[in-house]
Amino acid sequence: MSTKILEVKNLYTHFKTEDGWVTAVKDINFSLNQGEVIGIVGESGSGKSVTSLSIMQLIAKANGRNEGEIWFTEEGRSINLLTLSEEQIREYRGNKIAMIFQEPMTSLNPVYTLGDQVAEAIRLHQRVDKTTARQKTIELFNEVQLPRAEQLFDAYPHQVSGGQKQRVMIAMALSCNPQLLIADEPTTALDVTVQKTIIELLKKLKNDRGMSMIFISHDLGLVSEISDKVVVMYKGKVMEQGDAAQVFHRPQHPYTKGLLACRPAANLQLKKLPTVADFMLVDGNGAITETATDINNLDNAFGFKPDERENRKKKLYKQKPLLKLKEVQTWFPVKQGVFGKVKDYVKAVDDISFDVYPGETLGLVGESGCGKTTLGRSILRLVEPTGGTILFEGRDLRRLSNEQMRELRKDVQIIFQDPYSSLNPRLTVGSSIMEPMQVHKVFNNDRERKARVLELLRRVGLKDEHFNRYPHEFSGGQRQRICIARALALNPKFIICDESVSALDVSVQAQVLNLLIELREEFNLTYIFISHDLSVVKFISDRMVVMNKGRIEEMGDPDQIYNHPQKEYTKRLIDAIPKGKLLKV
Amino acid sequence: MFPYILNKSFYGLLVMLGIVVVVFFLFNILPADPARMTMGQRSDVQSLEAVRKELGLDKPMPVQFALFLNDVSPIGLHGTDSVSRAKYHYQQLFKVGKDEAIVLKWPYLRRSYQTKKEVSEILRETIPNTLILAVTAMVFASVIGIALGVVSAIKKDSWIDKASIGFSIIGISAPSFFAGIIIAWLFGFVLSDYTGLNMSGSLHNYDPFKGEVLTLKNLWLPMITLGLRPLAIIVQLTRSSMLDVLAMDYIRTARAKGLSNYSVVLKHALRNALNPVVTAISGWFASLIAGSFFIEYIFGYNGLGKATVDALGLADFPVVMGSILFCGFIFVVLNILVDVLYGVLDPRVRVR
Repeated sequence: MSTKILEVKNLYTHFKTEDGWVTAVKDINFSLNQGEVIGIVGESGSGKSVTSLSIMQLIAKANGRNEGEIWFTEEGRSINLLTLSEEQIREYRGNKIAMIFQEPMTSLNPVYTLGDQVAEAIRLHQRVDKTTARQKTIELFNEVQLPRAEQLFDAYPHQVSGGQKQRVMIAMALSCNPQLLIADEPTTALDVTVQKTIIELLKKLKNDRGMSMIFISHDLGLVSEISDKVVVMYKGKVMEQGDAAQVFHRPQHPYTKGLLACRPAANLQLKKLPTVADFMLVDGNGAITETATDINNLDNAFGFKPDERENRKKKLYKQKPLLKLKEVQTWFPVKQGVFGKVKDYVKAVDDISFDVYPGETLGLVGESGCGKTTLGRSILRLVEPTGGTILFEGRDLRRLSNEQMRELRKDVQIIFQDPYSSLNPRLTVGSSIMEPMQVHKVFNNDRERKARVLELLRRVGLKDEHFNRYPHEFSGGQRQRICIARALALNPKFIICDESVSALDVSVQAQVLNLLIELREEFNLTYIFISHDLSVVKFISDRMVVMNKGRIEEMGDPDQIYNHPQKEYTKRLIDAIPKGKLLKV
Repeated sequence: MFPYILNKSFYGLLVMLGIVVVVFFLFNILPADPARMTMGQRSDVQSLEAVRKELGLDKPMPVQFALFLNDVSPIGLHGTDSVSRAKYHYQQLFKVGKDEAIVLKWPYLRRSYQTKKEVSEILRETIPNTLILAVTAMVFASVIGIALGVVSAIKKDSWIDKASIGFSIIGISAPSFFAGIIIAWLFGFVLSDYTGLNMSGSLHNYDPFKGEVLTLKNLWLPMITLGLRPLAIIVQLTRSSMLDVLAMDYIRTARAKGLSNYSVVLKHALRNALNPVVTAISGWFASLIAGSFFIEYIFGYNGLGKATVDALGLADFPVVMGSILFCGFIFVVLNILVDVLYGVLDPRVRVR
């Protein structure tokens, strides 16, 4: 019988806002045993991070307030963390309870070396001298499998990759042998392949050290790979909790079913993705009613009709290609010395050739740094390609003058990864969407343009009154819809989606993917869809290109590649998709 | 780093050349006759002509400019006779022709029309006073400004925060000559019994018995007045940059480590927050020297500013030109220093 290490009883967290106190988390109850992993799942805004910050008492006292009890047990003694003073809780933070955060890029202080930041925690809680702390830090770096631990001690955060930063964060969290590790979306900002290595590392460390862990994520598939127990949260409340296998195989709550179904499943071929809304209806008072959708039989409601895919493909590939790439190269010179002599080239895109047919979606998949984004930008000449030909409707884009290229940009658009930074915060949503029309003089006056913008807003699932709002008033999914509306404003033929859904929660990702597919049919759009997540690319694409180190590894039918990968690299990408203890349909 | 500094210095040199050109032509189109200024109002035509010849005023404009440039340049071509030697105090590099030489020297800024003193000597007497004023004002502004900014960021929306914002808005909007008069009147006159300060006075005064005495208390009021505006801006800058940094993820990381509030703020937040502040401070320093012109005049503080304003009133152009060139030089040098300093503070800016 294992001992209980953490018990959360009737936890409420309130925040002070301009409209008074708002309750972010309502009546949370769960407990965690020694050596167990509990997964907390929910979309952004569901209160899962607030719960973990409450355990660490990291909610700012000035505008946040906790109610309830959080019992932490060590050596047979239980202490309610909520009753501790600021002074006392610091003994627990980083020492007995440690935390890893979502954004490894910004979670480390840029002006101190990696080693110093880890050694700081060691010296704080263990009262050892500088050399011992350094020694321990290097040991920890080795334990989290960082290469060249000695050199990395003196490196600054901007000099290492995202995955390495997350390993440093883990080393920092482990530095004082905590009994409990809270991992708050530790892999969301990382590539699927890096995500897999981090998950494996966490599992190994947990087993080696007998730690307990709280693993927070929006991705049920991922949580299921690591957790023993699962808590599903929605709008600050617990919807369902229990044994992990139980929850995954026999989800009771419609919200859980929605979360399970909305991740593009690798073994299913669906026409559109189920979303949470397909499983439950929420009325104005927040009451939830379940719909008739059956999670065990998604094929019926969401699958293709017989022959539908074959017919579509036949029709697609009869046409003349819209875009033809021939041996496209984008090389960046590596300069050296005072006079900037070119020493070598970084071959970001190296001899890429393929055709894209009108109405088709071509998926481009690979790890970060494989050159997929550079290729997307080279096609639009946002980065100048250094060789090859790019034929768009028979015209060589590389020979067009700047003036002609500007004309052409009407027809080709791009939707970027980060909906938070790709909208100008000082422009209203309406003027952001209207701007490309004004630049290209589409329509005679702003009144006609506004009418078109409103039409577009409605089309992407937003409302008329959103026209005069600013980007910060919208959620990530809504912002990505705005970016899509902006890309559509000029009636383009061709859109490059550069990791357009990677920053979104799985449930929101499903909605945006469905929207993209609907728009493709409606406006006869052609997409190049770039992503690091093979399951997403497989779902949306007619053909798939796997890229590695600037070159094409494999190209062909997504199902064919998924079921019979030819290259080691492709296998690795497929392997990295979290499958968890997902339903066998 | 070295090529970078070299590059910046070259641009700095070009800027200096531009300043010399503008200054020279500006003061040559002004309707004042240097010869008459030198000789005074009652002078006969012969003497005037003699002076004109001596100052080179009879020569055409381009030649005059070439002579001026030769005078202010640290490397110049001068005669080897004893008169030139005494005039330029130069270090001979090598001889050119029979009695001329390429020389290394301090820029020769000519002589005052009024006092006949060398301009460089006037500058040498007054610049230290101005530097003391500017440096103390800047130290005063930075120390108080950063402290107030940090406190109001930590205690956001408290009375301290609101008071310091209110204060800094006043500080930014009040023109320095107005603030100077108010401060001089309030602390030097109305409250002088308590403060013991004078409305005006210099750093060095002549006492009939003790000779020259250092009167540090005369520094207080001009220093505060001069530091007021930068202080106000530093408060706001530190506050907003500190608030940005305190919301960063790595501050949460530091708190999750179990560090005390004190070390989170001082060690992790302040160093990141200070980057923009330091840039602003170093940028401000140069304009403080220019800003001291008003302040010194109002407080009768014997510095470069007062000397220049006085000289301007008397149309004593060599002094004015010399002081403008000096200020320009300070601006150029400080700007180069700021660029270098930025790289030192932030490891991300460091080249390789």
